[in-house]
Formats: sequence, C-alpha cells, structure tokens
Amino acid sequence: MLTLLGKVCDMISARGVHKSFGSATVLDGIDLDVSVGEVVSILGSSGSGKSTLIRCMNGLERLDGGRITIDDFDVSNPKQLAEARKRSATVFQLFNLYPHMTAVENITLAPIQVLKIPRAQAEAEARALLDSVGLGARSDAYPAQLSGGQRQRVGICRALAMKPRYLLLDEITSALDPEMTAEVLNILAQLARTGTTMVFVTHEVEFARTISSRIVFLDKGRLVVDLPTNDFFASGGGMANPRIAQFLAKMRKD
Amino acid sequence: MMRYTSFTSYDFILLAQGLGVSLALFAVTTLIGLLIGTTWAIVRFYRVPVLTPLITFFAELLKNSPVLVQLFLVFFGLPALAKINVTPVEAAVITLSGNTAAFIYVIAVSAIESIGRDQIESARVFGLTRWQVLRHVVAPQAMAFAVGPLTGLLVNQLQVTSLISVIGVVDLTKIGNILNLRTLKPFIVWTIVGGLYYVTAKLIALGGARLEKRLRAHTAWKGL
Ligand SMILES: Nc1ncnc2c1ncn2[C@@H]1O[C@H](COP(=O)(O)OP(=O)(O)OP(=O)(O)O)[C@@H](O)[C@H]1O
Ligand SMILES: [Mg+2]
Repeated sequence: MLTLLGKVCDMISARGVHKSFGSATVLDGIDLDVSVGEVVSILGSSGSGKSTLIRCMNGLERLDGGRITIDDFDVSNPKQLAEARKRSATVFQLFNLYPHMTAVENITLAPIQVLKIPRAQAEAEARALLDSVGLGARSDAYPAQLSGGQRQRVGICRALAMKPRYLLLDEITSALDPEMTAEVLNILAQLARTGTTMVFVTHEVEFARTISSRIVFLDKGRLVVDLPTNDFFASGGGMANPRIAQFLAKMRKD
Repeated sequence: MMRYTSFTSYDFILLAQGLGVSLALFAVTTLIGLLIGTTWAIVRFYRVPVLTPLITFFAELLKNSPVLVQLFLVFFGLPALAKINVTPVEAAVITLSGNTAAFIYVIAVSAIESIGRDQIESARVFGLTRWQVLRHVVAPQAMAFAVGPLTGLLVNQLQVTSLISVIGVVDLTKIGNILNLRTLKPFIVWTIVGGLYYVTAKLIALGGARLEKRLRAHTAWKGL
C-alpha cells in the first residue's frame, strides 16, 4: 500500500506496544511484524496477554504506549482505524454472532454496510463461503439452531466475507469439543494452504506447528521468543527457554 | 315521565366522547413519550458527555415524583413562573408525555444493555459505525426485549391519564364524575367507566403480546 512517503508496507507491525489495566501491566513493550502470506501463531500461558494483543490490533483496546499499524494505517488514529479494520478481520473465541440474524445475514451485514457490496452479490458470496465450509444446507439457520462448531464456521465465513488481508484468530476452538475443534481446524489448514495471512492465538500447539511459518511466545506481557516454527520446536531454539519447555510439556500433558 | 336522574342515550355519547378524549391523550402522549424516551436512550448509547447524566437525572426526577404533583406544577406553576398560559389539555399532554418518556427511557436503556457487549464489539471490529450497530444489531434485539415491559407500562399509563380530570380535562373519568353527580347512581356509573378502562387496557395488552410474538419469531429464540 502506498503511503504519503511512497513507502510500501504490507504488514501488521507492532512497535513497543504497552497496555495496562489499572496498575497491572498486561503488554510490556511488544514488537511484532506479520507480513502478508505468513501464518504466525501466538502461544503463551493463560493471562500472558495474547487476547489483549489481538484486541489492540483490531482497535478494541486503546494502547497505552507504542504503535500498531496495519498496512501503515495506525489503529490508534481514529481517522485511520476504519481503514485498518477493513484490512483485517477477527474470529472470536465465543463466536460473537448476532443471534437475531441467520447465518447468511450474519455474514452479509458488514459487506453490505461497510464495503457497500450489493445485497444479492453479498448473499451469493456468503452462500458460496458457507458451502465451502460444509454449511450450505444451514445457510438460513439462526445461531441458536447451530452447534458450536457450526457457529464458529459461520464466524470464519463472516470474517472471510470481508476479504481481509489479515485474519486475526483468538482461541477460536477453545470453546469447542474435540470433534468440533477438528472441523474448525481443518478449515484453517485449508486457509493456510491457500496463503491466507493469519495471526493465530491458540493452545493447540501441535496444530500451530503444522500450519505456522513462525511462532511467537508471550510471557507476562513480554514477547520472549519469535522464531520460525522449526527453530521454535528445536531443542536448541525455543525449547532452550525453560518457560517455553515448561509450557509445551504442560500443553502436551493435557 | 323521564326523571332527571335516569340515564339517557345521550349519556352514552358523552361516555364515548370521554373515552375518545382519554384515548387521544393516551395515544398522543405515548407517541411523544416514545420519541423522547428513545432519543434519550440513544444519547446515552452514544455516551454524549454532560447530556447523558443530565437526562438520567431528569428521568429520575420524573419517575420518582407523583404525576399529580407534576401536573399541578405544569398547570399552576408554569403560568406563575413564566407568565405563559397553559390550557388543561396542554398541561396534560406535557405532563403525561414527560412521565411516559421517563419510563420508556428506563425500559430502552435496560433493553439496550441486555445486548451482549461481545456482539457490539464484533460489529464495530467489522467496521460498522455506531449508528449502523444501533440500527442493525442493537435495535432489533432491544425491541424484542422491550415490548413486554413496554406493554405493561402503557397499560399503566392509560390508567394514569385519569388523573388529568382534576384540572378539568373532560376525559372518561371526568364524564364519570358528571354522570355520577347527575344520576346519583355511583355504582352503575363507575362500573361502566371502570369497564371501559379495563377493555381498553386489555386491548393494549393483547396488541403488545401479538407484537412481541411477531418480533421474537424472527429471532434466535424461535423453536427453542
Ligand atoms: N478488561 C480488562 N480489565 C482488567 N484486566 C484485564 C482486562 N482484560 C484482560 N485483563 C487482564 O489482562 C491479563 C491478560 O489477559 P488476556 O486475556 O490478554 O490473556 P490471554 O493470554 O489471552 O489468556 P487466556 O489464554 O486465558 O485467554 C490477565 O491478567 C487479565 O486478567
Ligand atoms: Mg485469551
């Protein structure tokens, strides 16, 4: 994307991001770049600040310091936030679907209202997306009539319908049982293969290993490791860090 | 030979006229109340500084003082203070509209607050403006939520309109009063007047229940 300086910057870029709630520092100087085409998984124990980092990226939390840009649009600048938000789309842990709308209506709301896509076209695209995740027959069901896994698949379609450059995913399977988790992860694997850029917060370590180009580890609001996937899992790489070794051992046990 | 105290067919026209005045006042003040009450709730949704706490305070005042006192304040107080003439009907419209608005504000606020923050957040993240969120995500659900309490409120506000007879508006209750004084048959007169209020209230309640069913039919709670 061209900026005023003529610089091209196709990435999400976080620099020195600070966030605190009251006296508790939750993000403590995070630097992270995610370029188009990458799949970056964010691991870390509960409370390490993963969700908060995602919420800072999509403008749901105000930064207390530092800067996050999406294709050079600063999320802290109210005038640039809308543009930044058009370039990324979020899938939520608890789906956050609109209960009074059918699957298709959930998916088409933002394309129609924000991207100004004609309704008929938006609906056709929504149905095609639902088809691609195996929900073609449930297009007109309300969220309450769908299983958790089906709801999350609608949630993914809703994000994809915005044709985002970056998908932000925050523990999108942690509210699902193993069978439904598999349904949803299959879709992500497919997306990763087709080159979708993703920032993927997860506790599914093994799955993260199969789809990620890089792995990032957060600990108490600090980014302690940012390595290519293979290096992260190598004994001399991420595993050399005792906090990570401990975290991975615990994850494998569960 | 007809006696002065017996009922005539003209009395039924009087009753119908009284009912008409009560209904018209009720309809007008409900409409104005809805308009003002929801506008206040929208101001609060936008968290407009200064205005929001002001509205909350004003609504509290209206809710927590007797309607009759408010009516006297408008009818007798306003002319004394501002030297403007207020007719009984004007005083009735102003007072009842304000009172209804205050209660509708409370219902609208709790209806809006019943909608999960997470839905609003996700709509915002997808780039919808505050207005679009209100229009497409919040309002349809808030409406389904509010119809029940709103129906209860309106049934009550219909009864409250009877207070305006004390400042001389010739509503159903005032007609009851007139007939009662003339016929000296209080039991019959007040039974008829009460029955008319009852039937009207019942119709409002039925309409509300219908509307609620319709609004909810389109929502997630269908068939659960
Ligand atoms: N709105 C908030 N107000 C106060 N504290 C908060 C708020 N949101 C998060 N926190 C705190 O910030 C810290 C980081 O929370 P966050 O949700 O980012 O962790 P997480 O890494 O996503 O954890 P999990 O794996 O359990 O989802 C936690 O200690 C949490 O209690
Ligand atoms: Mg989290």
